Amino acid sequence: MSTDQSAATVESLTARFGDQIRYEQPTLTGMPVLWVSREALVDILEALRCLPEPFEMLYDLTAIDERMRSHRDGLPAADFTVVYQLLSVSGNRDFMLKVALSEHDLTLPTAIPVYPNADWYEREVWDMFGIRFAGHPNLRRILMPPTWNGHPLRKDHHARATEFDPYTLTVEGQDKEQQALQFVPEDWGMKRHNDDTDFMFLNLGPNHPSAHGAFRLVLQLDGEEVIDCVPDIGYHHRGAEKMAERQSWHSFIPYTDRIDYVGGVMNNLPYVLAVEKLAGIEVNERIATVRVMMSELFRITSHLLFLGTYLQDLGAMSPVFFTFTDRQKAYVVIEAITGFRMHPAWFRIGGLMQDLPKGWDRLMQEFVDWMPSRLDEYERTMMENSMVRDRTVHVAAFDTANALAWGVTGPNLRATGCDFDLRKKRPYSGYENFEFDVPLGTNGDAFDRGQLRIEEMRQSLRIIQQCIDRMPEGDYKADHPLTTPPPRDKMLQHIETLITHFLQVSWGPVLPANESLQMVEATKGINSYYLTSDHSAMSYRTRIRTPSFPHLQQIPALMRGGFVPDLIAHLGSIDFVMADVDR
Amino acid sequence: MAYTLTRANDAVAQQSASYPLGERQRVEDPMKQQVHRSVFTGKLEDVLNSTVNWGRKNSLWPYNFGLSCCYVEMTTAFTAPHDVARFGAEVIRASPRQADFMVIAGTCFVKMAPVIQQLYDQMLEPKWVISMGQCANSGGMYDIYSVVQGVDKFLPVDVYVPGCPPRPEAFLQGLQLLQDSIQEERRPLSWVVGDQGVYRADMSSQREKHRDRRIQATELRTPDSV
Ligand code: SF4
Repeated sequence: MSTDQSAATVESLTARFGDQIRYEQPTLTGMPVLWVSREALVDILEALRCLPEPFEMLYDLTAIDERMRSHRDGLPAADFTVVYQLLSVSGNRDFMLKVALSEHDLTLPTAIPVYPNADWYEREVWDMFGIRFAGHPNLRRILMPPTWNGHPLRKDHHARATEFDPYTLTVEGQDKEQQALQFVPEDWGMKRHNDDTDFMFLNLGPNHPSAHGAFRLVLQLDGEEVIDCVPDIGYHHRGAEKMAERQSWHSFIPYTDRIDYVGGVMNNLPYVLAVEKLAGIEVNERIATVRVMMSELFRITSHLLFLGTYLQDLGAMSPVFFTFTDRQKAYVVIEAITGFRMHPAWFRIGGLMQDLPKGWDRLMQEFVDWMPSRLDEYERTMMENSMVRDRTVHVAAFDTANALAWGVTGPNLRATGCDFDLRKKRPYSGYENFEFDVPLGTNGDAFDRGQLRIEEMRQSLRIIQQCIDRMPEGDYKADHPLTTPPPRDKMLQHIETLITHFLQVSWGPVLPANESLQMVEATKGINSYYLTSDHSAMSYRTRIRTPSFPHLQQIPALMRGGFVPDLIAHLGSIDFVMADVDR
Repeated sequence: MAYTLTRANDAVAQQSASYPLGERQRVEDPMKQQVHRSVFTGKLEDVLNSTVNWGRKNSLWPYNFGLSCCYVEMTTAFTAPHDVARFGAEVIRASPRQADFMVIAGTCFVKMAPVIQQLYDQMLEPKWVISMGQCANSGGMYDIYSVVQGVDKFLPVDVYVPGCPPRPEAFLQGLQLLQDSIQEERRPLSWVVGDQGVYRADMSSQREKHRDRRIQATELRTPDSV
C-alpha cells in the first residue's frame, strides 16, 4: 500500500472540495480517514471512483453511535457517524470517509447511484441505527423482523434478551408474524402478471436444503425462468456486533469463531491482529507461523465442506460422504492441537492458548499426505464429469468489473481472473515467508468457482507443509504487558505484579483509545474487524465486515433471466454460511 | 415410572394461547390401570405397544432442518464416519410432512421462531423434537436481543443435547436417548381404541445418572502431547 499515493489523493480532494473536507483523522487503520460534509459526500465518492487507479469497490458501509464516546479529541462534533470504506484493487489501497450526523437530523443521500452494493448496507444502517438514506428505493429492515421496534446498535437499545420478559409465542402472534413475512410483489416494484403470463411467486427458504441455512429467496417465475428474485436475510442475526460492546477484548474471541462458523480459528485472526495493533503487540515468528498453519487447515476443512455441498446441490449424492471423511481426518489434528473441533477460539491477544503439543507434526504430516490423492480423485470424478460441467460451465458467470461493483471478494472474485489475494498483496502474520500460488479462474462461472477451491486446497497444503518443515522456535505468548492472559511467571514477583495480573485476568486488558482495522483473506473472501476503542476494557464499537453479505446481494443481478436449476448451481457455488451474512 | 400426559385437544386454540399448545399433566403409568381392568388385555396391549414403539424408534426419519453451526456437526453425524444408518435414522426428509423428528440444530432467532413453529406444525403425529446445542437449549452464549433463550419457550422438547457444538457422537447419543424414551411411550393404538392421550415417560437426566462416576475422575490427561 503506498502512503504517498494516499496522501496525494487526500491533497487533490482537499484542493477540489475545500472546506467540505472537515478533518483528517489519524488512526491505526492503515488508510486515510477523512471526515467530509454530508452535502459533498456523493460527489467525493464519485471522484474517488473515477480516479486513474479507481476505488472500484464500496468495501463496507456502517455507522457508529458516538453519543457515549468519551475520547473524541479533535473529532468533529457528531451524535452518529456513517463510515464508508472504499477499496481499490488496481491501486491496492483503501480509503475511509466519515460523515458526522446530529441526532435531530439523521438523513444522508444514498450512495446507490455510485456503488450499487450500497443498497443492503444502507438498509442495515437504517435497521441498526435508524439513519435514513434519502433516495433509497427500499429502505426497510433487513436483519431484524419487520415487526421489530427500535434500532439495536444504538447505545440506548438493550443488549440482553434476559433484560426482558421471556419470549412467548401466542397463536395470535404467530399469525401476525407470518403475515408480516408475506411477500408482497408490489412493495418491490414487481408485477403479478404481464400481457401473456401470470407469474408465480415461489419462496425458496427460509428453510430449504439448497439455501445452506436460514436464508430466503423469493422468486418471480415464468415457468422455469427466473424473472426476478429478492433475497431476504436476517434469519440468522445473532447480534455479534452488539455482543462485542459488552464482552472484554479477550472474552469476545469465542464469538468470532461463530461468525464464519466453518472457518474456526481463521475468524480469530483478523480480530486478534486488530486488537494487537491497538495494543502495540508484536508477536514472534513461532506464533505467527502457528496461526498461519491453523488458519490454512481450517481453510481446507471449509473448502471440503463447500465441495461436498456444492456437488450435492448439483445432484451428486456421494461426494459429501467423501469430503466429510477428509474433514474428520482434519479434525483429528485440530482436536489434538486445540482441544476442540469446530470453534476452538484458540488464538489469544498476543499469542496462542497454548503451545503445540508434542507429536503434532506427525499428525499434521499424516493429513498432508492423505489429501493430495483425494483431491485428484475429486477432480477426476467430479470436475471432469460431463454432467457437472453441463450444469456449471457458463452458468451464473460474471466478470471482474461486475464482481467489484457488487463487493465480491475471495475465491469468487479470483474465479473471474482478478489476481487479488491479500495473502500476497498485503501479507499479514508472515505470509510473505511462504511459497504458494494464487489460483485464478477465467470465466467467473459456477464451474470455475468450484475448480478454483480445489486448487486453493492444494496451495494450503503447500503452506502447511512449509510450516511443518520450518516451524520456528519460540514462546507461545508475546512478552508484552497487554498479552492476555498474561504470562504466569510474570505474576509471582511482588505484590504489584500480582495486582496487575489479577486486574487483567478479572476485568481484562484496557486498550488505548484509537481505531484499528485488519483484513484477512478468509475462507469465503475478505473478512475484517474494524475496532473502535474508547480506552476501556470493552470495545466501543466492533464492525465485522463479512464476505458473504455482498455475495448474496449480488444474486438478483446475476439470476434475472436464468433458470431455477442454474440458480441452485449458483447458490452452491457461492460458498456462504448465514452466520457470515447476518452475523 | 412417571409419565407426562398430553391430550389432543388443541385443535381449536384460543388466539391468546401460547405455544406449546395443549395441557400437560403428570400421571402414573397408564398400563398399570389397564392391568387392573383385565390381566389379559393389559398384557396384550403391553405387547402391542412395545411392538409398535420398537418399529417407530428404529425407523425415525429426520427432518433436514438446520439453523447454524450445530447443523454442521449434525450433518457430520449423518455422513460416513459416524453413519447414522446404524440407528435407522438415515432417511433424511426435506419436507416436514414426511419427517418423524426435527432437530433444532442451532440458534433459535426471534425472526426464525414463527417459521420453526410453522414447520413443527406441519409435521404429522407422532413427532419428536431434539434440541441440539446450547443455543437451542437455553440461548447459550447468545443472551442477546435477537435470540430466543431456548427453543422450549415454544416447542415441546424431548431430548436436550449439550455442547457448543455437541460432537457428532453426542448427537448420536441424543438420538439413542430419544429411542429409549419412545420405547416407553404410550400412544393411542388407533383413533377408536381406548384413551386418546399421549403418555410420555419422564426419563432421568444423564447428568444425574452419571454424576457419581464422573466425579471420581481427579486427574485428566495433560494436553502437552498428542
Ligand atoms: S450451540 Fe454453539 S455451535 Fe451450536 S449453534 Fe449455538 S453457537 Fe453454534
